[in-house]
Amino acid sequence: MIWIDGVLVSRGLGGVYGERMLSNARIWDPYRSKLSALYHQKKGVELEPDMRVLYLGAAHGTTVSHVADYVEVVYAVEIAARPMQDLLEVARRRTNVVPIMADAAQPEQYAPLVEPVDLVYQDVAQPDQVTIALANCIFLKPGGTLILMFKTRSVDTRKEPGIVFSDAVSHLTGEGRVVVRDSTWLAPYYRDHAAIICTKS
Amino acid sequence: MQSYWFGDMADGTCQPCTGDAGTLADRARSLETSMDKFAPPDWQVAVACGACRDRADYLAKLREVCFLVAEHRIREKYSGRDVELLQMTRTLDELDTVINLLTGRMAEWYQTRHPAFSRKFRRFDARTLVRTMSRRSGGALGRVTGDIERLSATRTALAREVSARAEVVMPNCSALIGGLVAARLLLHAGGLEPLARLPGSAIQVLGARAALFSHLCARTPCPKHGIIFQHRRVHNAPQQVRGKVARVLAAKLAIAARLDLYRCVAVPEFIERSQARIDAAGVVP
Repeated sequence: MIWIDGVLVSRGLGGVYGERMLSNARIWDPYRSKLSALYHQKKGVELEPDMRVLYLGAAHGTTVSHVADYVEVVYAVEIAARPMQDLLEVARRRTNVVPIMADAAQPEQYAPLVEPVDLVYQDVAQPDQVTIALANCIFLKPGGTLILMFKTRSVDTRKEPGIVFSDAVSHLTGEGRVVVRDSTWLAPYYRDHAAIICTKS
Repeated sequence: MQSYWFGDMADGTCQPCTGDAGTLADRARSLETSMDKFAPPDWQVAVACGACRDRADYLAKLREVCFLVAEHRIREKYSGRDVELLQMTRTLDELDTVINLLTGRMAEWYQTRHPAFSRKFRRFDARTLVRTMSRRSGGALGRVTGDIERLSATRTALAREVSARAEVVMPNCSALIGGLVAARLLLHAGGLEPLARLPGSAIQVLGARAALFSHLCARTPCPKHGIIFQHRRVHNAPQQVRGKVARVLAAKLAIAARLDLYRCVAVPEFIERSQARIDAAGVVP
């Protein structure tokens, strides 16, 4: 990852969402992107130039644009029409973004399009986030990484976030498809959000 | 056989899909994949297959297909008959907010110019207030109040349009609670299909989110009605049967929404029976 004086940046065409620039690099704000928040917690995996990434819950393509600056290709999956319009605009100017309009909970919708990837990054506000993540591990190469941005309030608004989180971790490991390697809460950047980093066994 | 966006694979041999990006996109939209024996596509297979020249060509072609698929799906989503009604209703509700905010602010301003002016014991509505202020004031105050008047006229016209459109999009719901309230229900549910999927109990408290969650979390009394309170049959009902009226009305609305989604026409016998049932619920025993 590229840091300039403690500021996380990515190098690429600027002006995607009005992000500020620092020595010709785009500032990647941890308050606007959970992945940046994860790197500010000194966790996560290095993004390499030869990496292939499956990005679930791409939304308006803000974080996607930063990831695309680092890696070879990003498969960006988003279901809603309105953010998809913005994502298409981002993808038009970044030729290594493949925009896919489909439901991340139904990988069979886009399975014929997505090649094996090194990293699955998931940021979807759904109660069954863990099930969605596990279903998408089919695209992960052996030894590949899954980063799950876990929104505890999307699972249950009433339960204690810590309990929801530990349930999710045991659900993830229980299936035997992935090993939970690391996890962290995203406070102070995001409340009740955790990042769970897994490796495909 | 394994189907990919660039062709079919069977017994180790590949059958590339011929045709332009449009053909490939149409095919990609209808591809059915079973996930139990699935192997993700491989660009080298696609090259060997003759579907593309190299990695760069693979990605370029794939992107072209994905753009076409996405654009098609966006068009499809926006072609629903409820899509524009949602935007119209949202605009209407926001106009109300803006008009209220500005009217309040202008009244404060006006009172500093006319210290003797007070709304106490005056029997005029907000519209008359705005008209009085705009007639008697110059400068920015006069202009803004004039703008509020024009905005109110726009709001009235839009409300009529929303109501008329709702009667076309959701004839059964509109017959039960009127076009405007029906449109607001639609807005809170997020569309006709999501509304038709809701049970009556959810429709009953649609729009009472804060009260509902405080009920679930803090055990406060549960809300009896949400948006449907805006309908006269609920808010005019005697206190002791208001919850019952709301419940019966919501249950009938759940059926009406399904009729609206799947039949798209008014069903007179259903409307008649429902009206009678809702009226009966409002009678104090």
